[in-house]
Amino acid sequence: MSKSRPTYSPLYLDKTGKRHLIVSDTAEIPAEALADGVTPDMFDERWTIAGHSKAIPGTERGAVADHEFRSMNHLLIALRRRLGEEKMGFRLYAVGAEGFLWEVRTAAVVVGMGGGEVQLNQVGSQARRVFCNHCRTITEGVTTNIVECAGCGANLFVRDHFSRRLNAFAGFQVDAEEPGDIPEIEEIYR
Amino acid sequence: MSIAYKPDETFRDDFVYSNSDTAILRFPFPFIEDEYMYSVNIEPHVRGGETGAFEAVFDVDEHYIAECRERAMVLEQDPNRCMVLPHMMTAQWDTLELIMESLAEDYPEDFTLEKDGDAWTWTNRPLGIKDSFVFGDVDSLPLEPFEYITRQAQGDFTLQDQRENNLFMDGGMVTTQADWSLEFDLGMSFHEWHGPVPVAHEINVFDRALQYLLRLQYGNPVRRLNWTMTVNPRLDTSPENYPIWGPDRTTLTPENIGGKLHLRVELQTLFRLPRSNAILFGIRCYLASLDELTRVPKWGRRLHRVLRDLHPEIAEYKGTTRYREMAVDYLSQFDDGEPTSPGIGPDVESL
Ligand code: HEM
Repeated sequence: MSKSRPTYSPLYLDKTGKRHLIVSDTAEIPAEALADGVTPDMFDERWTIAGHSKAIPGTERGAVADHEFRSMNHLLIALRRRLGEEKMGFRLYAVGAEGFLWEVRTAAVVVGMGGGEVQLNQVGSQARRVFCNHCRTITEGVTTNIVECAGCGANLFVRDHFSRRLNAFAGFQVDAEEPGDIPEIEEIYR
Repeated sequence: MSIAYKPDETFRDDFVYSNSDTAILRFPFPFIEDEYMYSVNIEPHVRGGETGAFEAVFDVDEHYIAECRERAMVLEQDPNRCMVLPHMMTAQWDTLELIMESLAEDYPEDFTLEKDGDAWTWTNRPLGIKDSFVFGDVDSLPLEPFEYITRQAQGDFTLQDQRENNLFMDGGMVTTQADWSLEFDLGMSFHEWHGPVPVAHEINVFDRALQYLLRLQYGNPVRRLNWTMTVNPRLDTSPENYPIWGPDRTTLTPENIGGKLHLRVELQTLFRLPRSNAILFGIRCYLASLDELTRVPKWGRRLHRVLRDLHPEIAEYKGTTRYREMAVDYLSQFDDGEPTSPGIGPDVESL
């Protein structure tokens, strides 16, 4: 069991907060990400991804509750700006793939949010981002125990060791000791 | 007593490295008894004790000049082996002060620190360095203070910030490590960076060690010994360069294992720093081949027994799987079954 690998749990509405924003890397807020009795309409704002290039999120803070973005990156740009404007009592919730969650969390930590002010829950794909410890390239969307590094081509074994700062799991060359001696490749992070 | 440096030693390629009789006798042999298990093996870091390696705050030995050159080479090839997060600048100065003052006090023939208020002059004779600077003024040194001073010390160092009732590895100089990566672990909390270690979490070693460290007092440093094994006297066994050193593990034979396989011991020291309240963690690495160590009869017997009976998960974690049996077979010739005395001391005064 890895102690650096984060664990997640269903999101509950933090009653000590005054304003609640939930962000998701999907088109709908997935109900299974929320704790029993919590529904998407309980959040003051919902930010989701429309996944097409014409999406325009609402411009004024709080004017509308639902905002659709073109992509995860598009959402994160707006989120970083918004976090800079928020004050005490603001609570942030994120659901989606692990890579998205830690982008959100880092953006929040940068503006001094911490502890229970940010809640994360992983839903959907279990695919990993893998940091090659040798060439320092991140390979995205890894679903197998061993993956070819997108940077140096090494066959990386995906460890259970996770860095929040790099938002990635560690990978090392599985056949470094005896080149070509590669264990069976299995899909394990679907 | 002045130290007979061996400036031409190398820790890569041709591996020109050996321990003098003096170095063997002062080797910090890590096993207090004939079996080994993880524990909270922390004791006050006071001078003296069962090994000469405990005589100074930061031990300097015959490999000093060569180790500093090896560090410079690693940093040239990979600058990210030294990283410090921006909020740790006060801890950087704390570190510089602690190392300079300690080296100057313990080795006055080799190091001198002169202070006139904040105007300091540092002289490092073995490395031929003399620099005057203003304590607290980053621009008055050629490098940031942590990198500047840890380039002039043996062993790795990490800086831990204390907050949220935890320790965070927010900086380090890591070029002589036993297969862990500063670049990957930077910013992690105590349990996170210890994540890959087997067995110890389950027996609460890390919970207890963290509680102990959170209460560490300024002026009362502590130490512990940790160990692993390395093929060839290679200091840089980093994950970064695993493709380069990993194949070494396939080169052992019953004929060469005595000279090629090294016990790698880390003398780990922990200091509370005065201004930053951070913790400095020193990881001083010692390498000695099986043939060097078995010249001490007690150590030959004990190493054989420890390695033979090692917990399989710990043996695997330390990377010994490929050669452990061969090493145990080789060492068995030094184990006559006689009892060994408690403690780490060699029990002999000369070799
Ligand atoms: C702030 C101080 C410390 C730092 C920075 C530190 C750092 C590390 C690192 C980076 C590793 C390697 C993990 C990996 O495989 O990736 C490690 C291993 C380990 N640490 Fe610590 N550590 C500290 C203090 C302690 C203390 C006080 C204990 C006391 C029990 C301890 C016990 C261990 C053990 C048992 C291992 C496994 C070593 C092996 O089998 O080779 N550590 N530590």
